[in-house]
Amino acid sequence: MALQIKNGIVVDPKNGISGEKMDIFIKDGKIVEEVKKNCRVIDATGKLVVAGGIDLHAHIAGCKINTGRAMRPEEMRFVRRKSNGLRAAVGRTLLTSPAIGYEYAKMGYTTAVDPATPSLYVIHTHEELDSIPIIDKATLPLFGNWHQVMRYSADKDIEKLKSFVAWVLERTKGYGVKLVNPGGVEAWMYGGNVHTLDDAVPGFGVTPREIITSLIAAVEELNLPHSAHIHCNNLGMPGNYETTMETIKLAKGFENRDRQVLHVTHVQFNAYTGSSWRDIGSGAEEIAKLVNRIESVTIDMGQPIFGHATTMTADCPWQFELHKLAKAKWCNRDIELETGGGIVPYVYRAKNAVNSVQWATGLELGLLVDADKIAISTDYPNGGPFNSYPYIATLLMSKKFRDEEMKKAHPYIEKATSLPSIDAERTIEDIVKMTRVTPARVLGMKNKGHLGTGADGDVAVYDINPMDYNSSNFQAILKALKNPLYTIKSGEIVVKDGDVVSEVWGRTYWVDVRDKTTTELIERDLEEYFNYYTVNRENYGVEERWLQNPLRVMAG
Amino acid sequence: MRNAICTFCGNACDDIEFDGFVGKNLCPLGEAKFSAKQRIEGPVVNGERVSYEEAIDRAVEILVNAKRPLLYGFASTVNEAIRLGVILAEKLGGIYDQCSSVCHAPSTLAMIEEGIPGGTLGQAKNRADVVVFWGCNPVEAHPRHPSRYSVMAKGFLTKGRQYRHVIVVDVRKTATAYLATEFYQVKPGYDYAIFSALRSIINGHEDAVPDEVGGVSREKLKEFADILVNGKYGVIFYGLGLTHTRGSDRSVENLVKLVQTLNRHTRYIIQPMRGHFNVVGASAVAAWEAGYEYAIDFSRGHSRFFPSEFTAVEALIRRDCDAALIIASDPAAHFPKRAVERLTEIPVIQIDPHPNITTLIADIVIPSALVGIEAEGTIYRMDGIPLRVKKFKETEYWSDYEILKLMLDKVIRLKGE
Amino acid sequence: MASKPVAGYGGVIILLVMKPRVDFEVNVEAEITPELAAKPFEEIKQFKVYYGNRLVPLEELFEIEKKGDDEILILEGDFSRVKWIGKSMEKGEVVIKGDIGAHCGAFMKGGKITVEGNADDWLGAEMEGGEIAVRGNTGNLVACPYWGNLKGMKGGRITVYGNAGNYIGEKMCGGEIEIRGDAGDFVGTEMKDGKITIHGNCGYVGGDMKGGEIFIGGSFEVVPAFIKTDDGFIGDVNVKGKGKVKALK
Repeated sequence: MALQIKNGIVVDPKNGISGEKMDIFIKDGKIVEEVKKNCRVIDATGKLVVAGGIDLHAHIAGCKINTGRAMRPEEMRFVRRKSNGLRAAVGRTLLTSPAIGYEYAKMGYTTAVDPATPSLYVIHTHEELDSIPIIDKATLPLFGNWHQVMRYSADKDIEKLKSFVAWVLERTKGYGVKLVNPGGVEAWMYGGNVHTLDDAVPGFGVTPREIITSLIAAVEELNLPHSAHIHCNNLGMPGNYETTMETIKLAKGFENRDRQVLHVTHVQFNAYTGSSWRDIGSGAEEIAKLVNRIESVTIDMGQPIFGHATTMTADCPWQFELHKLAKAKWCNRDIELETGGGIVPYVYRAKNAVNSVQWATGLELGLLVDADKIAISTDYPNGGPFNSYPYIATLLMSKKFRDEEMKKAHPYIEKATSLPSIDAERTIEDIVKMTRVTPARVLGMKNKGHLGTGADGDVAVYDINPMDYNSSNFQAILKALKNPLYTIKSGEIVVKDGDVVSEVWGRTYWVDVRDKTTTELIERDLEEYFNYYTVNRENYGVEERWLQNPLRVMAG
Repeated sequence: MRNAICTFCGNACDDIEFDGFVGKNLCPLGEAKFSAKQRIEGPVVNGERVSYEEAIDRAVEILVNAKRPLLYGFASTVNEAIRLGVILAEKLGGIYDQCSSVCHAPSTLAMIEEGIPGGTLGQAKNRADVVVFWGCNPVEAHPRHPSRYSVMAKGFLTKGRQYRHVIVVDVRKTATAYLATEFYQVKPGYDYAIFSALRSIINGHEDAVPDEVGGVSREKLKEFADILVNGKYGVIFYGLGLTHTRGSDRSVENLVKLVQTLNRHTRYIIQPMRGHFNVVGASAVAAWEAGYEYAIDFSRGHSRFFPSEFTAVEALIRRDCDAALIIASDPAAHFPKRAVERLTEIPVIQIDPHPNITTLIADIVIPSALVGIEAEGTIYRMDGIPLRVKKFKETEYWSDYEILKLMLDKVIRLKGE
Repeated sequence: MASKPVAGYGGVIILLVMKPRVDFEVNVEAEITPELAAKPFEEIKQFKVYYGNRLVPLEELFEIEKKGDDEILILEGDFSRVKWIGKSMEKGEVVIKGDIGAHCGAFMKGGKITVEGNADDWLGAEMEGGEIAVRGNTGNLVACPYWGNLKGMKGGRITVYGNAGNYIGEKMCGGEIEIRGDAGDFVGTEMKDGKITIHGNCGYVGGDMKGGEIFIGGSFEVVPAFIKTDDGFIGDVNVKGKGKVKALK
């Protein structure tokens, strides 16, 4: 049945609507002009009506999070919901697949993208994505340490690289191109790492700079909906903001009318000054200035949340460092010819100076970078749970709340970060940009992040009036954002008054650009590489018919 | 059919060519698996042939009325069916357990303690210059492992046998030991101590190591530690010889600690030699659906993990289940006597393509299609790499997926959810 | 063993007596503590316990008799299939006149549990305080932390007069464990503090031990990562441990 959301206060920045009382209509899963008959009506008088939220970077599926679950029963004992009508849902910050779908919906989110799948394991990633209820999803295969990518980058053979990217995206039903510590994971195979953009990758002679620019060039020439998406080199290390700034500058050589050419992810983890853990500080101000100046770059926060987290990334050498630093258990998986992955449990402690700097750095980025260039994220579950986004949004919206929370943090942040001196408060419109409009544009998902005709019928209704709220009453803001009155997915009411009431199944987006290149270019190379894989080429990858609800996107 | 996947062991060789009934590239174990064998003719309830629908109805009746039904097996079917099995256990308020609990469960427990520094089998093939087999005998249990992945595999960087140091550690000289550069014979039950001794030596505390540990002299241990540390990229494969002896999970944990230590000097990974072709899937699916890999109890409406009580063997011995659904497994042949005794006391439902000892004690028997021949789906190789097994023969038999789907639908309807 | 008056309650004795009423079809999870004994009788009878996947009132499974208002639980008969008795208890007393099921006294903070028969696995798991005495034998995992947790027993005292199984006092941070008979493998693995005494024989002792003391009367196997001293061993060297393993004098 069609749905009318009546008399809400709509904030839809993409369509220039910033707090107008109006009705929103959904029919057949899409926003329409108007529906006259057979329409279920939701009264949203005086309530905030926005598009469904979008998470552009959360490790929600695949062998990493699943190994995390298996190694951390201490995380899974937290019971969120018993099995009655819907599925049981468990997990503290690591969640089961049903819990992931429910928790997103419970904060008004309707789309999430897994940002890092090893292609060799992609069937697993899709199986898990297909087990997450409610939300739309996609996955980004990892390219930055793939032998073939490093070889083509060394040869500066962009034509072959384009052909390879198109082949991988089709084989993996992937949505875009992800790089994690380019070159560093290959170096890890013999215990090393790379430390600057110009370090040579052992055995390949290629540098991170060459890998990054080659992949940006390939993505741009193929005109993928989403740009190259990078986890920079030197993640986690004091002084790493310089590498991040240099990486950001690599985008300068490229242009795209519709979107950024480089998305730099969880920047907080790559925004530290200093030369050791003793003098670590925040480089957020300088990074913010640079990002605001360069048109073609976007970022997301990677905000850490005080409390439990589970770090998981393809950045194996960093995970080994963290295993030693945190004296915690450590999973590692070296993946033949392609990439790797590591998992280490972690606790962010407010009383710890370094953790407090991390916390403040994320917030600085969230306050200083233009709202159309930054998305809210925790790099789930690396920085903590994604269902803390309402908490992050409230921190950004309320100086008073920040002051309260800063009191809990280590006083070292006064010296090492600029957070205490920032008085700015984000508006609701800013937050809608950082959680809807910006991630939709970054991902190139044109039907998402807004409420114009033809957009996906994904809507959230919150108990707050954007024209009339008090930023110092942060409890009210937090409560409203944490408990949407309604979350609507494809026109179906899935959450009412903060709780899941029904389950629908979303789509998996993937990108097909095979018509922009030809596999013939790399045919012989593929044959050669498959001599070294332990899986035959015919058994590599995933067919569209194996997915529950695939949505193929052709690049523009 | 080319590039079919063998559904016998955790190798999941994916280069099998089928020509009618005969497969090329199969090892003897795979050949046995794929040769024509006796099938269960049709669904049976208390000795009487019935339709699939009726057998499923009767099975659901038993399961819904049970106070704690046990759902066990799963390692020899596909993930799609396993997922329904986990959800079925959740909806029934029963136990989900799978074959890991009698083989590599200690590896899961060790991972919970220390994690697992691992990698894919292709890492052994392409990079390893030191390969250790500890308490495992691939020549007999995973016959194509040495040639495809480890001992003789021709890799990208390590080009073949002559570039590898192969070490076998076992309590007797196994067939695999004859492939080894070095063989260390250890006293049964002393693996844990030997791991600690190797760690002590590598950490510079030779003085803490007595003259002999587990039947190996200190000098030999020092030589062993030397070989390990001097490898550029090492892989340690371990098997039931480690997980099924004294101190099983703690021994694997100590091996993990040894590998952590080795990674402070060079690079090392470890890999359990998993048995059934999809025992890894039976763990992984349960983890994403319910948070744990095995021994999961849903009696409180959500998952709980208690490996000391809710593995199939423990639940049976402790008389803590009052009905059982056994899928693609033969517990009556392999479980301890006291557990089998309990199985004979409670209603048992079996889903399997072939008759086995469990068939003899089952009240309801539901035959299923052969996975990888008559039914397709996803399986995980021993290193977790997912592969899609194929269907290339038509059949009248229902697949495990179809059987469990109808069961689940009926349970949900009966429970009014 | 005869039921003796419980010390400290001045002669008024047995307060809540429970006996199994039926032969259990599956095991019972009864998270009851002595505080229950002080509640009104109707409330006690209706107290819900897990019987497989059903929640049932206590009286459906047990005969219950109430004789006063003190916080004492007397369990008579075979409770070997009843789990979680005394979970997280803070005060009062439980006397089990026969065998008891798994997780007895888990997370216990105070009070006393006496088991006159045998105890199952996970006796006093993650215990913080109070006292547990078992006249018979215990299963595995005495005073251990649950899977994935970083701390085992933190305080209190456990005495087992019979034998104990494998895994004793893992990741122990405080308190005392005394086994009068023999014990199995893995005593004090990753122990940080506290004291374990085994009067009889046992298997591996002290793996990755960081601190605390272990005394053993009979034979044992110290892992090959300990330095021999005049009066015993110090280790585990692999974790720079200062744990002491000594012969019981």
